[in-house]
Amino acid sequence: MSFRHLDQFAQVYSPITAIAPVLRVIGTVAVALAAATLRLGAWAQLGTLAGLVLVLAVVARIPLPTLLLRMLGPLVFVLFASVALLILVPGEVVARVGWISLTDNGLLRFGSALGRAFTALAAAVILVSTTTFPEIVQALRELRLPHAVTTALGLAYRFLYVIVDELERLQRAARSRNAGAGAAKRRRLLVSVVAAVLRRSLVRSERTHRAMLARGFQGEIVSLHRSRVDARSIALLSLLVLVVGAVTLSSYMDL
Amino acid sequence: MPLLEVTDLKYRYPDGTHALSGVSFAVERGEKVALLGPMGAGKSTLLLHLNGLLLPASGSVTIDGIAVSGGTLREVRKRVGLVFQDPDDQLFLPSLLEDVAFGPLNEGRDPEDAELLARGVLQSLGLGGNELRAAHHLSGGEKRLAALATVLVSHPLVLVLDEPTSNLDARGKRRLVGLLRQREETLLVATHDLTMARALCERAVVMADGALVHDGRLEHIVSNREFLDHHGLWADL
Repeated sequence: MSFRHLDQFAQVYSPITAIAPVLRVIGTVAVALAAATLRLGAWAQLGTLAGLVLVLAVVARIPLPTLLLRMLGPLVFVLFASVALLILVPGEVVARVGWISLTDNGLLRFGSALGRAFTALAAAVILVSTTTFPEIVQALRELRLPHAVTTALGLAYRFLYVIVDELERLQRAARSRNAGAGAAKRRRLLVSVVAAVLRRSLVRSERTHRAMLARGFQGEIVSLHRSRVDARSIALLSLLVLVVGAVTLSSYMDL
Repeated sequence: MPLLEVTDLKYRYPDGTHALSGVSFAVERGEKVALLGPMGAGKSTLLLHLNGLLLPASGSVTIDGIAVSGGTLREVRKRVGLVFQDPDDQLFLPSLLEDVAFGPLNEGRDPEDAELLARGVLQSLGLGGNELRAAHHLSGGEKRLAALATVLVSHPLVLVLDEPTSNLDARGKRRLVGLLRQREETLLVATHDLTMARALCERAVVMADGALVHDGRLEHIVSNREFLDHHGLWADL
């Protein structure tokens, strides 16, 4: 499965991986917030933010094709979700595609939504590519997210692999008996396999909870590590926040 | 006073199934005992009682003089290290180090102390260097040892293992048995694996249909094919 190698650049030394994970998370949120709050139609600022994120990807030693490939899935989703803006937002009609009228306001919002999504997604992809999932969960703990959320995220990450393995085993067993010939049969087979995996997951969750209780679990996973936040990391994050803050503010000063 | 004492223990699952019907036995300090029996004999249910994960519906379980009850769970769980059959159930944190440190942290040790203990146990079991690896990157044998490490780190008085050799290859079994033989803790091993039981234990407690049907020297039953066959412990192939 591709998610097994999602954090492959976490092991590559770069100025980004040298920064404490908690600061990487804050930086990502800052970039996403900045992209989301830019003034509508501030293309120069949006371009600057997108360019800044692409520079960060280069600094993190993530090849551009890899970055774009990882963004593709969510970006296509955003694209489909934003198509409605082209049609529904009223304004001056600038073009017609068949029976659909494209308005200037619709195009503005569509382009803006795509640009913002591109910038925020690129920042998020850099974060998950350069930070292991356990580090992200730990960072979220340090940012005081509720224990229930961070515990659920940690367990979900650990057992995702176990569940995927079970799914693959069940599918293999079904295929070995020539199951799923024909689209309708394949769909039925998928439903049965997913149901079996869900049932097993439920049983496993009970066993895991017992294993946790057996070692004194009292409702909260006590953390072993805290990330070391050095002065250099804080300086770099401050610089990033200053730059994206200035870019966002400048979009309103253009008015 | 025995370290572990089970007296007339009865347990019925919510669906009405009688899992244990009046089980009684005692284990002395330092003893290594095999708990044998076919599938569904009640072995796993019994093990869950030893750690307080199930509380006796009737009868009693005493560990180091402490009766297992809702109010003594913390003390009981410090004394009984329970290793589950499937190591994937026991290794639930993102890294091995965190999994092994989980118990000490819950006991109230500070993180530095817990980490030191965890690293030491992993080293002693030959898993040094794997501290930051996730369980899904380990082999079956390594997972089994890691699950063992998660309880050894708390220095339990009794080690309770549920089918420790299931899904292990010959080398993995040899390594695990070798390690367990060196341990000084009291040992209770639930298993179908007679070869492993003989390598580790002198005494056997045999269960069938939720009741105790034998408590004595393991060698006495190993040579009794009729007994083994009757209780689903002998596969005459």
